Amino acid sequence: MTMRDAPSRTAGPATCPVTSVAHGASVVDDATVVSDIPVSEPVGTDAPVADWVIPQEMMHDPYSTYLRLQRESPVAWVPVLNKFLVTGYAECHAVELDQEIYSAQVQGSGATMIRALGENPMLRKNDPEHAVERQTVNPTLRPKAIKQVWAPLFERNAEHFLEVLAEAGPDNAELNRDFAAPLASQNLIDLLGLPNVEPETMRRWSHALIAGTGNLLDDRAIWDAADTARTEVDELLEDLIPHYESHPNDSMTSALVQSGLPHSNVAANVKLTIAGGMNEPQHMVTNMIWALDRHPDQQQQVLADPSLWPAVFDEAARWLSPIGMYPRETTRPVTLGGVALPAGAPLGVVVGAANRDPRHFETHPELFDIHRRKQPHLAFGSGVHLCAGHWAAKSSIGQIAVPSLFEKFPSLRVDHSRATEWNGWVFRGLTSLPVTWDH
Amino acid sequence: MAKIRFHHSNGNTDVLEVPDGTSLMRAAVSNGVDGIIGECGGQAMCATCHVLVHDEYLGHLPSISEDEDEMLDCTATERDSERSRLGCQIEAGGQLDEIAVDLPESQV
Repeated sequence: MTMRDAPSRTAGPATCPVTSVAHGASVVDDATVVSDIPVSEPVGTDAPVADWVIPQEMMHDPYSTYLRLQRESPVAWVPVLNKFLVTGYAECHAVELDQEIYSAQVQGSGATMIRALGENPMLRKNDPEHAVERQTVNPTLRPKAIKQVWAPLFERNAEHFLEVLAEAGPDNAELNRDFAAPLASQNLIDLLGLPNVEPETMRRWSHALIAGTGNLLDDRAIWDAADTARTEVDELLEDLIPHYESHPNDSMTSALVQSGLPHSNVAANVKLTIAGGMNEPQHMVTNMIWALDRHPDQQQQVLADPSLWPAVFDEAARWLSPIGMYPRETTRPVTLGGVALPAGAPLGVVVGAANRDPRHFETHPELFDIHRRKQPHLAFGSGVHLCAGHWAAKSSIGQIAVPSLFEKFPSLRVDHSRATEWNGWVFRGLTSLPVTWDH
Repeated sequence: MAKIRFHHSNGNTDVLEVPDGTSLMRAAVSNGVDGIIGECGGQAMCATCHVLVHDEYLGHLPSISEDEDEMLDCTATERDSERSRLGCQIEAGGQLDEIAVDLPESQV
C-alpha cells in the first residue's frame, strides 16, 4: 500500500475540529489537541477541510461530491458530518486492512448501530472477539451451502414474486415494491430461519434498523421506528433461541445459537443480519435492472450470453454500491493519504467513492462497463469484515433473481413515463423503479 | 524469519523475508505484492489468495481443511489438484522457512 504525497489544502480559514472525537479533546487549536494525545507519530490537525459538503445533495446524488473530495484530498475533514471522509481507494483499503489502527468499535456519535440494535454486533468489534462470532455463520454462507441448501429456496422465492410482479401488470408494476423488496425479505427470513415472519414485517424491521444505523442526524422518529423493530425482534428471539438449542437446522440463527454464544450476542447478530441483509440485495436487483436499461448494448450481450451475469452483478455493485459509507475510528495517531490523523479520529470510509476512484480503476470508473478489466472493488468491504453474505447475494440476486426477471418478461424495461427515485448516500438505492413489459 | 518467493504469471518474482508464523496472504498484502487480494482477511471465505505451491514444498504443508477445500473450488483461475492452496492457510516458518509459489493469472 502506498501513501500519496500530501494533497494541497483547501483554501479558507477553517481548522479541523478534531475536538468532536472521543477521548475528551474539546479544543480547536493545533497545539492543545496535540498536547492531549500521546504522540508516537507526527500529529496535526491540519487536515484539508471540506466545508462545502451538503449532505442533502449527497442524498440525491453523491457522486459529484465524491469526485471533488477525491480531487482535493482523499482524506478530508467534513465539519457537517463530524467525520474525516476517506474517499480514495488506496486509503479506504488501507483502513480495511488494519483493525489495530482503524477500529470497528466506534464510539460517540459514530455508534449509531449499537444504538439501533441495542447491542454490539460483530460488525462493530475487532478480532479476536469478532472472529469468534463471525466463524459461527461462515459455514452456512460458504458456496457449498449456498448451492445445496439455499439456492433452491432462492429460486422458489424468485418464482413466487415473479407472479406477484405479473399480477401488478405492465402498467402498474414497481420493481422495488412488487419484487425486489419482498424477495430480499423472504430470502433473509429463510437464511435466518425466522418462522411466521411475513416479508412485509421483515422489510419494515430491516428499514427501521438500517435507518437507525444511518441516523447520523439523530432524528427522533427514526429512533422510534428502530426501537419498535428492535423490541419485536427481541420478543421473537426469546422463544426462538431456546427452540434452536434443541432443534438445530441450516439457518444462521441456529448456527449462532449452536455455537454457544451468549443469547445477547446471538440477538445482536440476528438484528445485524436483519439490518444489513435485506436492503442491499433489494437494491442490487433494482440497480442491475436500472443499469442494464441505460446500457441496452450490454443488456443484449448478457441476454445472449448468460455467462456474463456475474460480471453484470459485480460491475453494478461497483458502480452503484448499495453501502456507500461505514465508520471506523483511529486507535492512535496515524498518517493516512498524507493527512495526519489523531487518535480517536472518527472516519467515514466511503467505499461508494473508492469504487469510482480514477486513481485505482483504469478506464472511466464513472461508466458502467461489464467488460472492464477485472479488479477488486470494495462494495462488500474487504478484510475480516468482508460481507458474510456476499456468496448468498451473488447467488440469490446475480444468478437467480435478475436473470429470472428476463426469463419471465423478455421485454422487461424501465417505464420512463413514471418517476424513478434514488435516495441516500450512506446507504443508497432506488426507492421506486417502475417497470413495464410488452403485453 | 522465513523467505517467501512469489512467482508472477508475467515472469517477475517478489521475494519477502517475514517473521515466522506470517501467512502467505498476509505477507503479500502487507508488502504490496500484486496478484494476491486476500479479500476476506484470512477466514477462508473468498478464494482470492490462491497460490500454486512449488512441488518441493508440498510435503511440508498443513493438510487442507474442509473449508479451504470448498473455497479452492471457487478460485478464478482453475484449481490444480496437487498444487493449489489458499495463501491465508499457509504460514511461513518452522519446516517452511522457505517456500515458493506461483501466482495464478487471476484472483477475481
